[in-house]
Amino acid sequence: MTSPSSFDSELAAVWPRLRRFAHALARDAADADDLAQMAAEKAFKSFNQFHAGTRFDSWIFRICRTVWIDAVRSRSRRGTHEAPPEAADGMGHDPTSATEAVIDLGKAMAAMQRLPEEQREVVALILIDGFGYREAAEILDQPIGTVSSRLARGRGALLAMLGEGE
Amino acid sequence: MTDEELFYAWLDGELEAEEAARVATRVAADPALKAAAERHRALATKLRDAFDPVMGDAGPPPRFGSAEVVDLASKRSAQQARRVAFGVPQWAAMAATLAIGIVAGQFVGDRSTAPVESRDGTLVAAASLDRALDVQLASAGSSGPVRIGLTFRDRQGNICRSFSQASASGLACRKGEDWRVEGLFGASASQQGDYRMASGEDPRLAALIDERIAGEPFDAVAEKTSLGRGWR
Repeated sequence: MTSPSSFDSELAAVWPRLRRFAHALARDAADADDLAQMAAEKAFKSFNQFHAGTRFDSWIFRICRTVWIDAVRSRSRRGTHEAPPEAADGMGHDPTSATEAVIDLGKAMAAMQRLPEEQREVVALILIDGFGYREAAEILDQPIGTVSSRLARGRGALLAMLGEGE
Repeated sequence: MTDEELFYAWLDGELEAEEAARVATRVAADPALKAAAERHRALATKLRDAFDPVMGDAGPPPRFGSAEVVDLASKRSAQQARRVAFGVPQWAAMAATLAIGIVAGQFVGDRSTAPVESRDGTLVAAASLDRALDVQLASAGSSGPVRIGLTFRDRQGNICRSFSQASASGLACRKGEDWRVEGLFGASASQQGDYRMASGEDPRLAALIDERIAGEPFDAVAEKTSLGRGWR
């Protein structure tokens, strides 16, 4: 039921989204690619724990999020927490950029980086990927109410950074 | 749920029909809420559009098909074995995790013929030692460089064999297709002159065997039978 070939096809179906999720969480593209890759490897190794008939995307997103949290924690333990990427500088303060109708990936990633981690993951799952609140709550192992309030705060902060002013 | 959260839940299509209709009515009647809805819809679209290129240029996903994984893993462990087989510093590090005495002489030799190598963090028999453990019967005596001493089952049920080669002796136990080296003892320089190394004769090896053995050592018949069964 959980043979390697079916893992490959499950992964292939979700791969672009997994990669996008990794980009929404990670601080730069290189980290994001590593994260997606590591999540895929970890998922493959524990594929025997995947319950057939449940959602593979939720399962692997959850793994990806765990890998990300571990990486963030080990970085801050080592005391090498780095400043957000330069692209974030001046963002959200520049009235001309704030009214742009289109933003590029770098700007979007930088804005995500400025969100607290617990808001970032909620925004990544619901606003960017389109998971429902319930699925997101399950992936994050949080009550729906918590997810909903984090989403509200994240949205407000993003609007201030990227959207047209109030 | 706060009003704000209710508003977002409505925007995200998370509300039941009845509640959604109530919020929709409120929003329609309130220009400020209407504008907020527009702004947040635009924000979500903007954000998704920004991440779109990542989806497009995702490239092929990594593949883990069984055949490829086996190839990769064995290739990697072969590379690893080449890299770490037998350098003195590695030995020093490994000695800390094993009942290893001083290892010297022929055991630290050419990489391709080293009798012990490290694979995934454990020491396994290689080259001449691996072959001797695989096919040599103690009862048949030895003409090669390796002498086999005792063969027995340890308390976990694995078959173990003691061996000696040149100035060292040790114990290896069967794990899968490998002989995992559980102990390796070298004779000190002063011992080598008057101390003829033979399996079981090194007191440290004898102690290790005592510690591991379950029951009696195999006799010639049992030894031959387990060779025929691939040391299972």
